[in-house]
Amino acid sequence: MRRFGRIGLVIAASLLAASCSAGSGSTTATKGVVTISNENGALWTCDFSPFNGSDTLLSVGFVYEPLVYVNPLQNGKTTPMLATSWTWGAGDKSITFTIRKNVKFSDGSALTPADVVYTFNLLKKYAALDLTGVWSVLSSVTQTSSDQVTMAFKTAAVPYFYYIADETPIVPEHIWSKIANPVTYPDTNPVGTGPYEVNPCAKANITYTANPHYWQPGEPHIAKVEYPAYTSNTTANDQLQNGQAQWGSQYIPGIKPFYTAKSSNFHYWFPPTVNVSLVPNLKNSLLSNVKVRQAMSYAIDRSKVSTIGESGYEPPANQAGIVTPTFSSWLDSSQLASDGGYAYNPAKAKQLLASAGFKMGSDGVMANAQGQKLAFTVINIGDYSDWVASMQVITQDLQAVGIALTPANLTNTDFDADLYYGKYQLAYYDQQTFGPAPYYELRNWLDSADTAPIGSVAATNYERYSNPATDSLINQYAATTSTAMQHSIVDQLQQVMLTDVPIIPVVEAVDWYQYDTANITGWPTPGNPYAQPSAFAYPDMEQVLLHLKPR
Amino acid sequence: MSMPISAVPATVDQPGQQPGSTGAGRSRAPGTRVLARMGQAVRSNRKATVGTALLALFVLVSLFPGVIAHDNPGADAYAPRLGLTTAHLLGTTAQGQDMFAQLVWGTRTVMIIAFVVGLAATGIAVLIGVAAAYLGGLWDGSLSVLTDVLLVIPLFPLLIIIAGYAHGASTLVLIVVITLTSWSYTARQLRSQALSLRGRDFLEAARVRGERRLYIIVVELIPTMTSLIVAAFLTNALYAVLFASSLQYIGLGNPNTQSWGTMLYWAQNEAALQTGQPMWALAPGACIAALGASFALLNYAFDEIGNPALRPVRRTRGKPAR
Amino acid sequence: MRFALRRLGFFVLTLWAAVTLNFLLPRLMPGNPALAMMSKFHGELGPGALKALDILFGVNTHKSLPAQYFSYLHQIATGNFGTSLDFYPASVTSIIGSAIWWTLGLVGITTILAFALGTGLGIVAAWRRGGRLDSIMPPVFVITSAVPYFWVGMVLVLIFGISLHWLPSQGGYYVSTDTPGLTLTYFEDVLSHAILPAISLLVTTIGTWILTMRNTMITTLAEDYVRMARAKGLPGRRIMIDYAARNAILPNLTGFAMSLGFVVSGAILIEYVFNYPGVGSMLLQAVQGEDYPLMQALFLLITVAVLLAILVADIATALLDPRTRTAG
Repeated sequence: MRRFGRIGLVIAASLLAASCSAGSGSTTATKGVVTISNENGALWTCDFSPFNGSDTLLSVGFVYEPLVYVNPLQNGKTTPMLATSWTWGAGDKSITFTIRKNVKFSDGSALTPADVVYTFNLLKKYAALDLTGVWSVLSSVTQTSSDQVTMAFKTAAVPYFYYIADETPIVPEHIWSKIANPVTYPDTNPVGTGPYEVNPCAKANITYTANPHYWQPGEPHIAKVEYPAYTSNTTANDQLQNGQAQWGSQYIPGIKPFYTAKSSNFHYWFPPTVNVSLVPNLKNSLLSNVKVRQAMSYAIDRSKVSTIGESGYEPPANQAGIVTPTFSSWLDSSQLASDGGYAYNPAKAKQLLASAGFKMGSDGVMANAQGQKLAFTVINIGDYSDWVASMQVITQDLQAVGIALTPANLTNTDFDADLYYGKYQLAYYDQQTFGPAPYYELRNWLDSADTAPIGSVAATNYERYSNPATDSLINQYAATTSTAMQHSIVDQLQQVMLTDVPIIPVVEAVDWYQYDTANITGWPTPGNPYAQPSAFAYPDMEQVLLHLKPR
Repeated sequence: MSMPISAVPATVDQPGQQPGSTGAGRSRAPGTRVLARMGQAVRSNRKATVGTALLALFVLVSLFPGVIAHDNPGADAYAPRLGLTTAHLLGTTAQGQDMFAQLVWGTRTVMIIAFVVGLAATGIAVLIGVAAAYLGGLWDGSLSVLTDVLLVIPLFPLLIIIAGYAHGASTLVLIVVITLTSWSYTARQLRSQALSLRGRDFLEAARVRGERRLYIIVVELIPTMTSLIVAAFLTNALYAVLFASSLQYIGLGNPNTQSWGTMLYWAQNEAALQTGQPMWALAPGACIAALGASFALLNYAFDEIGNPALRPVRRTRGKPAR
Repeated sequence: MRFALRRLGFFVLTLWAAVTLNFLLPRLMPGNPALAMMSKFHGELGPGALKALDILFGVNTHKSLPAQYFSYLHQIATGNFGTSLDFYPASVTSIIGSAIWWTLGLVGITTILAFALGTGLGIVAAWRRGGRLDSIMPPVFVITSAVPYFWVGMVLVLIFGISLHWLPSQGGYYVSTDTPGLTLTYFEDVLSHAILPAISLLVTTIGTWILTMRNTMITTLAEDYVRMARAKGLPGRRIMIDYAARNAILPNLTGFAMSLGFVVSGAILIEYVFNYPGVGSMLLQAVQGEDYPLMQALFLLITVAVLLAILVADIATALLDPRTRTAG
């Protein structure tokens, strides 16, 4: 009995000590350290290959750098990085980069144009490493002078500048040329020109420390970046809420009471990037009817989807397909307005359906003369609770005009399979990539080169839209560096979106981003959107890290 | 006088405490008499009274949800995340649904699960338990091994992986899966009791009269076990509610169902606790606890009635035993 | 000896049943979940990993079901549970190895604590029949036994984590500020994170131990040998512990083992509420990520753990109580 008492006392004492230290230890962070809170869903593998899709966000921007930084949030505004300047060649079919001098890799050796040539030819040799498909348009990459690299294209490929200059990390030849199989190379000890080195990596946390050889004088100001592996959203948000992490990059439910109300230093900004759309299968006999699609677009109360389904975080989209305010300068608002803007209008929706020969049935569902009912199954990703909630709103909206939706909440795997192979009626989805102009998203949805017959995998044009006139517009854009010309083409693509309604944009997906200004300044803000602000956006996070300063 | 009911876990098959050994069987107690005695117990035993009242309340709510809650539980009709007001007794969800309406309408799904699983699992338990005991020999051996194996395999992890393969479970799938996996505990109890009744005179008498086996089991044997069967139903219903709600809570149910577990799932998803909406999570959890408690209280009360030694000692008896 | 062999036989049988369930479930499910999983990860997996998955889930195979079954049994027997898909290329066993200590620490210690504490309280309650403890406890714990484990966790998170800020309520330690190692700060960190989940488990499981112990103790107190001891005028405490409790605890020990399954189940949800980095959270994560190899292995691990506990308790009971041995 007595022995038990002793043990009990010891446990009680240590519990007390622990709870006290927990109370005091959980407050502010050390100066000059930024802790990132970005839920990864798994522990780190400590692999840093810049050409492995699941590791890029941990290496590109921290350790590896691109030639040029292209800011998608400022219409592709460029910042020279490893290239100091570039010029387009004749007919926009080649480009020459001048490579920066006095840049060193973190092992102390110098960066040369040969490293750039080596990197691009590495992607040519191992297609698996070519994540953005630059060699689908490149024909050669060669060193043309002591500090210049020239790239030749098979066809005019102006939009590919983004992938070549911004999305391709440059690796040191003296290390990568000795690797037997670069495809499976884990790159556990990455050597690059970027501002940070991995030092060290553990399954639960990666610590990045400043690269002493970094080429920008005085940078980086933040001596250390901690990147813990959060397996759940709740834990990651919890760390933001108590100030243990300063840079957040995920969904926080009820962000005002949860986060910003906790401290005046806590802020968030969710810049929109791409449309989340109701995607009709255009091979479906009822959904191929443009009036049905137009009616759907009129029947959805996009503001309500935004406030109810997305807690107001994701703004309502427009039928023109231009994400605002990110690409507001591209929006042809007069054209959008002339069509009534597809603003919420259930009466107009019913009228359109009536004009297409649909009559309301006794069950509240419209049907045509052949008795075909406007009743569809809509596939959705069950794990995205905001999308599930959004679909409840959309279902109620469409029900009101006589279109019956049955949501099928699938797993990611099943959803992708159904979507890619075209085995669905309606889907709720967004494009997974984002570019520095609205063209990139519109091309993904509308280019017939990116589609496939039902039963085969479509690359990005899942609704199976195909129109030679639209294809030619898309190809013209690829062949011009003239801004005026580009705008005129995007205006015409908006016209396609408004008349053909190939997809129905509902809300705009955003980058999740929360930041704590207590000890750190220089964060990207709506007033100074110098980079995509999420920690998972590469190579943008390098720009953020270079702007941050301890207070 | 009456039968002991071993409903509290771990009192099954205790040495020296044979269920059904106290004589109720001897006097051929028919099921109706047992039920009548239970009715009387409900009035006299405070735990039973509370349990019955709670259960009756939930049954009423599940039968007439529209009388109590006027809102459509699924409609996104209001502003999201409203606080507690007279219009919205529990506030609204992040999707602008009235939480009180969700709680009230959700009762129906939960009660359906509780009663269907309770009845079905008890049915299986009676079938297997009584068959094993009465048929004996190889039948008993194999059915008992089946029961024991299922008894020790951790059920909840099993349910989780089944729901995982099924990509989430609708209410029907929940009912089927929980029924098929959760009968073993009560089957074991029923077997023990049936075993102890096997050699009794009234069964012998029926056999001598030349009754068929099935007749003896259904008409003679099972009615004498009524109180244990009711206890088994209560146990199974309790676990059905807990298992189904837990699976829905962790997102393995259908998120569009109106149910307490689904409410908890959304509350977790929308960080209800951290965003000043604790009722979103507390209210459905409290309902699960209250419904569970009503089953548990009834069960325990019947146990007390059956085993007088467990009854609370009244002060009038003087000083506690020493 | 015969008893021990019988129990061992039952252990093996149940283990076989669990393994077989693992084999059959993915093959019986409609819509072939394993096939969907394979298509998701194809191209990312090496040939060795693919072969292991073929055997585990029976996709891309033309072998008959019995043939599949034997290669499956063989693979499980050699301890090869395949490669995790979400944590590729880590093997399932290595991933579980990192999580299991958290669960063993939290659930193991708390369960033993709950059993010891609950049994003690049960003894006292039965001994002081009609006392304050005895009259309050049964109804209270009947009710708590019906409360969902996770809900108790939620309430504790709300009170001590969110409202009062006394204790951390998420995770196993502060991943961003602390490094695992043999330091005092890390120890305190881990301990402070374990308090709330441990209390949740304790509160929800202790009732069962108290009630069962109280009830068996009351039965035992009515036995002749206890009356005899009283008549002999032995000191009360001695009768309570050496005569009554010692005999009453035996059936409880079996109950302890049997209820472990429920404790493990409840612990899964506790870990989920607190995002505790143990096998319970991992199981749910594996389910959500469709990481079927990890899911299978975890289910088997949990089953084996419960079976082992039952085996140990059975043998302990047999050693302590000669009656069981002969009865077996």
